[in-house]
Amino acid sequence: MDEYRLSRRSLLKGVGAMAALAATGGIPADLFASERMARFPEKADLQLLTARPPQLETPLHYFKELITPNEAVFVRWHISQIPTSVDLSSWRLKVGGNTDKELSLSMDDLKKFEKVVYTAVIQCSGNGRSFFEPKVFGGQWKNGSMGNVTWAGARLKDILNNAGIKAGSVDVSFDGLDRPPLASVPDLVKSLPVDKALEDDIIVAYEMNGQSLPMLNGFPARLIVPGWYATYWVKSLSEITVLAKPFDGFWVKTAYRIPDTPYGCVEPGAAPKKTIPINRMTTRSLIIEPAIGTTLKSDMPVNVTGLAFSGGYSIKDVIVSVDGGKNWGEARLGKDMGRYSWIQWSYPWKPERPGKYILMAKATNSIGESQPFEGLWNPAGYLWNKVEKTEVTVRQEGP
Amino acid sequence: MKKIIITILLLALAAGLAYAQGKDIKQITLPNIQTELAPGAGKDKVETLCNICHSVDYITMQPSGTKAQWTATVTKMKKVFGAPINDADSEVISSYLAEHYGTAK
Repeated sequence: MDEYRLSRRSLLKGVGAMAALAATGGIPADLFASERMARFPEKADLQLLTARPPQLETPLHYFKELITPNEAVFVRWHISQIPTSVDLSSWRLKVGGNTDKELSLSMDDLKKFEKVVYTAVIQCSGNGRSFFEPKVFGGQWKNGSMGNVTWAGARLKDILNNAGIKAGSVDVSFDGLDRPPLASVPDLVKSLPVDKALEDDIIVAYEMNGQSLPMLNGFPARLIVPGWYATYWVKSLSEITVLAKPFDGFWVKTAYRIPDTPYGCVEPGAAPKKTIPINRMTTRSLIIEPAIGTTLKSDMPVNVTGLAFSGGYSIKDVIVSVDGGKNWGEARLGKDMGRYSWIQWSYPWKPERPGKYILMAKATNSIGESQPFEGLWNPAGYLWNKVEKTEVTVRQEGP
Repeated sequence: MKKIIITILLLALAAGLAYAQGKDIKQITLPNIQTELAPGAGKDKVETLCNICHSVDYITMQPSGTKAQWTATVTKMKKVFGAPINDADSEVISSYLAEHYGTAK
């Protein structure tokens, strides 16, 4: 354990992160939880939501790091015939539809396009769904269907321009190697409006943190739509189709939709009158240390630390309260890794009196988007970004 | 000690062979993880029919649902995803789910 802590500390120092291991003195709360853990190929022990198709959640302690290691990044597949074997000598990314020519790109071809590298948060649309009240059906994620990863790949725009988009194109659809278990189950195909697809920062990524992608995270290449929820980040990408008509596939037309209202919410239990496809991520922050349920000692200084991110706009500030929201102070922000990355923050605190304390953090981005104090509700359990409460206990320091 | 060295040599050989056969191939084997459902009338139908498309931890993971919610979910599986469940089995499955994974006792 000591060795573990030592190496973690030097690693933190190495990436210029804050002293996250300041004397919080507790074991992370997720170690106490009764979740089923499972180890899948190329992955660490992750919290098992479902086995087939696999849905695996990242334990919170990994979020002490600025970058989430590949083996810890969450896993979420929709339909059960997922790829378990890919031979790069035969894998091709096909590009066609309403284009001047059809492409059939090998991995070598893909790597001939200019390589783009950046760090971006990957987050499931349903991250935090288990916190909804009233509860909603669906993957019961806590906060672990997210991660912060350095991606590298070819610009989608460069690939599309290489194929040549014909006039009158409306949408671009993306299909991966996963297949439905029955012919009646809609294949997982996603789409983006053509203007969105041509934005500079969307890439077809073949590297995650400098390595090839784990199979369960979309080997050999996946779409990265930074700032948007990961439902668009199609894994094991095999086919890109430019469309002259609006895409009408199930996973865009029917699923992954949010109410067309401010903040994408409706009255709890109500059905939205009109919906739109989910898109940009909401602004979030999370307290990582001290973990929920930690016991601290009075008069011992601690660093309240955590992370914050938003849907493609820099975090302007994070404010922290240690008294349940009565008083707030500004946290110190860590290294800026760009507008798609999460940023770490820290807030020094010295609890003076024993008792229970409610810690809270609230982030605001550069265009003023922030977090609500009450959970906003929608029927599918998306967009969760409530200001969370972390309860800790402070005990009188012993002799 | 000898045994360990031999094992290491064999592992190294195996790794080398795998590499020689195709460094361009990635292959994984998914673990076989089973979830035991609560005993009761209808369990066999759930295990047979729901399992066609997904593991039954999709059921055990859900928050406690009402009979109406579970019925709506089974209907969605049939109408939207084409699950081959007849009307009689739908009722058996919805009742089982509401009783064991829901609020409707």
